[in-house]
Amino acid sequence: MSVQQVNEKSIYYPPGGILLWILIFLELITFGAALVAMMVYGKQEPEMFHASRLHLNTTIGTINTIALITSGFFMALSVQYFKEKNLKKSSLFLKLTMLGGVLFLVLKGFEYYEKVEAGLTIGYNTFFTFYWLLTLFHVIHLLVGLVILLFMQHDLNKNKTNANLEDIEASAAFWHMCDLIWLLIFPVIYLIF
Amino acid sequence: MKKSLLVKVWILLVLLTILSALVSNNSSHYNYIIAIIIGFSMVKFLGISFFFMELKKAHSFWKTAVIVYVLLFLTIAILIF
Repeated sequence: MSVQQVNEKSIYYPPGGILLWILIFLELITFGAALVAMMVYGKQEPEMFHASRLHLNTTIGTINTIALITSGFFMALSVQYFKEKNLKKSSLFLKLTMLGGVLFLVLKGFEYYEKVEAGLTIGYNTFFTFYWLLTLFHVIHLLVGLVILLFMQHDLNKNKTNANLEDIEASAAFWHMCDLIWLLIFPVIYLIF
Repeated sequence: MKKSLLVKVWILLVLLTILSALVSNNSSHYNYIIAIIIGFSMVKFLGISFFFMELKKAHSFWKTAVIVYVLLFLTIAILIF
């Protein structure tokens, strides 16, 4: 196990690494641009967007947001415990982080099932085209994040000498990126129209 | 990052999420409501970036970049509505 600290004040070493932060900004710009496009379309057809938004379950959206925020909180705690060389607690909070992600996916799956059953598929109208594209892309990111966390959990459990702080921080940064993307998606799709 | 600080940030983020959902049910003052909801979301965005992702300790370039992104998104949303 390596908890060697890098110089975090250097422009080249943001927490998680510079390459990951470049990726994070690219993702945020892409999702941000799509959401701005959705808002522009929503302004042009407010009645249709409002009626479509009412088909969504705001309670599930809110619970999902809280699940992801809580999951991110557990991830931050896992990194802190790793820095303190408390691998047992670090591993526990990493598992809780993944549990939050799984809860999100289960609720999202339920929501998708309801929409498909009601015929509200990707081609139903402009609102649902944005809904499916944005939320599905986010779900794909979350699945990739879960796989990364599974690898980190494996490193922590089986091969403790291999786990290092940079890997943990990079995995955490990717997971938090999923939180950030959802924080942009949630208000635009579920609340404002 | 102190764990007690992380707990405080987490509580704030959860409260803001619940508040956003409650505020969205209010149909009066539509434009203000949108600004408040997006504003809350941007505060949560900064909370996660600066505390959970520990950007607070990073070089000012990264902090500035995140703040510029948040302000840009908020401004565009307000301008659209």
